[in-house]
Amino acid sequence: MRLARLLAAKLIAGIVMIWVVASATFFLVLDMPGNPAQAQEAQDILHGMTPEQAQRATAAMFGFVPKQPLADQYGHYLWQLLHFDLGQSIAQEGTPVAHIVASAFPWTVVLAASGILISFLLGVSLGVIAAVKRSGLLGDSLTLGGAVINGLPTFVIAILLFYLFTTIWALFPQGGNVSIVYDPGWNAGYIGSIVTHAVLPVIAYALATLGAWLLTTKSSVVSVLGDDFILAAELRGLRPLTVARYITRNAMLPLFTILAIALGLLFSGSVFIEDVFNYPGLGQLMISSITTKDFPVLDGAFLLIIMAVIVANTLADLAYPLIDPRIRRR
Amino acid sequence: MTATTALTPEQLQRGLRRSRQRTARRWALLVNTPGRALSCLILVVFALLAIVGPYLYPANLPINPKNIYAPPSPAHLLGTDFEGADTLALIVTGARYVLFAAALAALITVVIGTTAGLAAGYYPGLAGSAIMRVTDFVLAIPGFPVLLVLATIWNFGSLWEMAVALGVFGWGGIARAVRAQTLSLRERGFVEAARGLGLPGGHIIRTEILPNVAPYIGMNLMLQLTGFIYVEVGLFFLGAVPYSTNNWGVMLNNAVFQANAVTSPRALAYLLSPLICILLITIALVTLANAVDEFFNPRLRRVR
Amino acid sequence: MTGEADLVITEALEGASTAAVAVRVRDLTVTFPTPDGPLPAVAGVSLELAPGAITGLVGESGSGKSTLALTLLNAVPAPGHVAAGEVRVDGIGDVLALRRAELRRARGAKLGYVFQASQNSLNPLKPVGKQLLDLGRSHGVRDRRALLHRARQLMDKMGMDAARVLASYQHELSGGMRQRVGIVFALVLNAHVLILDEPTTALDMLSQAAVLDIIRKVHREHHLTTLIISHDVGVIGDLADRMAVMYAGRIVEEGPTASVLADPMHPYTRGLLTAMPRISGDIGAARPLPGRPPDLTSIPRQGCVFRPRCPLATDDCAAAEPPDTVLSNTGLRDRRFACYVTAGELS
Repeated sequence: MRLARLLAAKLIAGIVMIWVVASATFFLVLDMPGNPAQAQEAQDILHGMTPEQAQRATAAMFGFVPKQPLADQYGHYLWQLLHFDLGQSIAQEGTPVAHIVASAFPWTVVLAASGILISFLLGVSLGVIAAVKRSGLLGDSLTLGGAVINGLPTFVIAILLFYLFTTIWALFPQGGNVSIVYDPGWNAGYIGSIVTHAVLPVIAYALATLGAWLLTTKSSVVSVLGDDFILAAELRGLRPLTVARYITRNAMLPLFTILAIALGLLFSGSVFIEDVFNYPGLGQLMISSITTKDFPVLDGAFLLIIMAVIVANTLADLAYPLIDPRIRRR
Repeated sequence: MTATTALTPEQLQRGLRRSRQRTARRWALLVNTPGRALSCLILVVFALLAIVGPYLYPANLPINPKNIYAPPSPAHLLGTDFEGADTLALIVTGARYVLFAAALAALITVVIGTTAGLAAGYYPGLAGSAIMRVTDFVLAIPGFPVLLVLATIWNFGSLWEMAVALGVFGWGGIARAVRAQTLSLRERGFVEAARGLGLPGGHIIRTEILPNVAPYIGMNLMLQLTGFIYVEVGLFFLGAVPYSTNNWGVMLNNAVFQANAVTSPRALAYLLSPLICILLITIALVTLANAVDEFFNPRLRRVR
Repeated sequence: MTGEADLVITEALEGASTAAVAVRVRDLTVTFPTPDGPLPAVAGVSLELAPGAITGLVGESGSGKSTLALTLLNAVPAPGHVAAGEVRVDGIGDVLALRRAELRRARGAKLGYVFQASQNSLNPLKPVGKQLLDLGRSHGVRDRRALLHRARQLMDKMGMDAARVLASYQHELSGGMRQRVGIVFALVLNAHVLILDEPTTALDMLSQAAVLDIIRKVHREHHLTTLIISHDVGVIGDLADRMAVMYAGRIVEEGPTASVLADPMHPYTRGLLTAMPRISGDIGAARPLPGRPPDLTSIPRQGCVFRPRCPLATDDCAAAEPPDTVLSNTGLRDRRFACYVTAGELS
């Protein structure tokens, strides 16, 4: 029963965080130069709409009606949010933001997820090697390499990858997500093109978080190796394979906490990677909407990114007690 | 257990000598491998560039419209930029903004993060939980998108404003680390003894806990610096923050988006120079962070 | 006591005998690398654990007693290594000469080790019962039920709720229970040698008394050869048949417990005993030893290692380490100590 209470608490915490972020975004929009919502309304009236019509149009676009009492605006905004209505785009008149954001979302998430998977597998394996061989050259080099990659800005990685593999050695296409030559659909040409265009960005995503996995795994394994129960297991004559399993399970625990951080890094990095590779994902959407001053889209993309990170965090938080029996107590 | 008898002057001398030797040995850790010595050198060089650099060149660098994106030559060791200005000069003058902003931001995060971490760790009840909730929140938010959105309503291009913007969102990591350390220290004998003596909490925190937390802060600081350099250069690179003073991010922006340096082999030096500088600084900071770790954590030292 | 389950396990371990087993340590030296070169944490130690007896090893922290205990299972922590000597156990031979696979089999099945920090000697992520099965599997025990039955027997004898303990995780057990579980793990495979490193240090007084009782009972009922290591002379005095005193990596005195406690020969032993305050009598009579226990680098390289703190030290003590003086050589009754001055007084 204690476990259920713990899980419920984490769930509520997650929901509260989403609410806080949504509210912050709301106030942020109010704060934007020239209060775009008001500006839009004024412009609509200039275009011949009646004040009521203008109000409704602005409400549809931004999710709330300006010049109404703050509480009403806020309530309206939240209400629309619960219906997954993020307003409408300015740049693309009338198109619901939710639409735009939803079509960009998969391009970011699929690539980021593939990147994380690859970097997890590679990083954990290298981290274990670095831990086991830590008093030699191999361990030192791996650790240093991991630390350097960790500290490297994502755009450095993206630029270098782009430069090396599309310009100096023209192995991969120069940006975009798919060649326009092919018709969209489940045909080999289209799928193949998507894959070739995705290789470099996925590698970029993978390299961005590789360092974190490697270093955390290494330090976690080293710490577990020094734990009493490992020595005790060896002194009791347990088989090497069993001891290895004990070490692995215990060393995996901290990786959960950095899963959340890794996701945050990934979404931060998506802005750069998609910019350099001209990939139509959420990151690029954010940048373009800043340039075109399309604030509803900016907010929508931003909100979606933050919510994805919070949801992933909450899931990791929820899963942790299931894996570590020590946490279940309180 | 055993009573301590009064120390003779000879014993005092011997003790002092031994502790001085120990300290000297520890400082030697910073330079005891060629890699570490080189890292110290790199950081010193860049620090000098940051402080002294802008004085070496005139306020407005000479431009030469007939010599844009020139390859490296004896006159221009790293080539020229889109206006014909010397790349090396741009690197040297651009260092100040990048490094100062990162250093200031790091300072801000240390102040906020340490305070939050100490408070949350020493008063773990309701206050501590509240602080940790906030910290977790700040930590979870992907900093970069937030800064992007922030950039639309607030132009924080100036040095101080950039430092504040970075610092306000970056203190989560230090707070977490400091809190964990404070929590464990709190249960240790000397802290319990101090509390038993009735010493006020603030005093205990300052004299007992803070010195023991310092090593973690030191290490974290170095790694934070790499992160901040990343973020600020990134912001300029994307053009999210408009051009204020010359810095490496602006150079990258010009190189990639103006000069199309990534699709053509010209302007290679212009593109690579800031990248390599960032690379060097990152490697140096990471190597020294490891050294600082060994400094305070003798277990990690190896008999070399 | 001995029943079907025990016989099955005994067979699984290839006919281990149930007679008591002797352990002989000869000239053991274990060194650690330091900036000043390799230095010995254990120097030329010879010790015999008489079969069926409880031997106690007393020493301050840093005396090398834990290193000695680990060496008995050839488990010296890196970067230390065994420079010389042997550890002979009946039925196994020289533990230090065993190949890796044989060594692994000997640990746990023939030599049982109970940890100093039994508080954390189990995998925190697995219930006790599952780890017991892991232990059995690693040692080729095919009958799981018999193994669990034997474990339950041991736990019952120690006053624990076996069913509950087997289903628990380590953090759900109290300190005393964890210590007892450590003893169960050391004995469940019918080992004949039991080594306990500071079994009561982390416990409160009541749990201490309970654990000491259990050790005594278990030692008797299973015909063990037991080595108890402690810095607490009281614990040794309570349990051990014979005791050895260790200082700076050397055994400075050894003999029947009652005899050593009543009439200590080595100045260090005398100092230790004088330092203990008694419950009755004048508390001012207790006097601590002057100085501090040495660490690896501050042990004198020449002459008697106790010289810096010894009230009886003479110039002769600086020349070379004192040899063992043996008082009588009749098995369990013999005593030896290493001091020039006391030996001189006796003759």
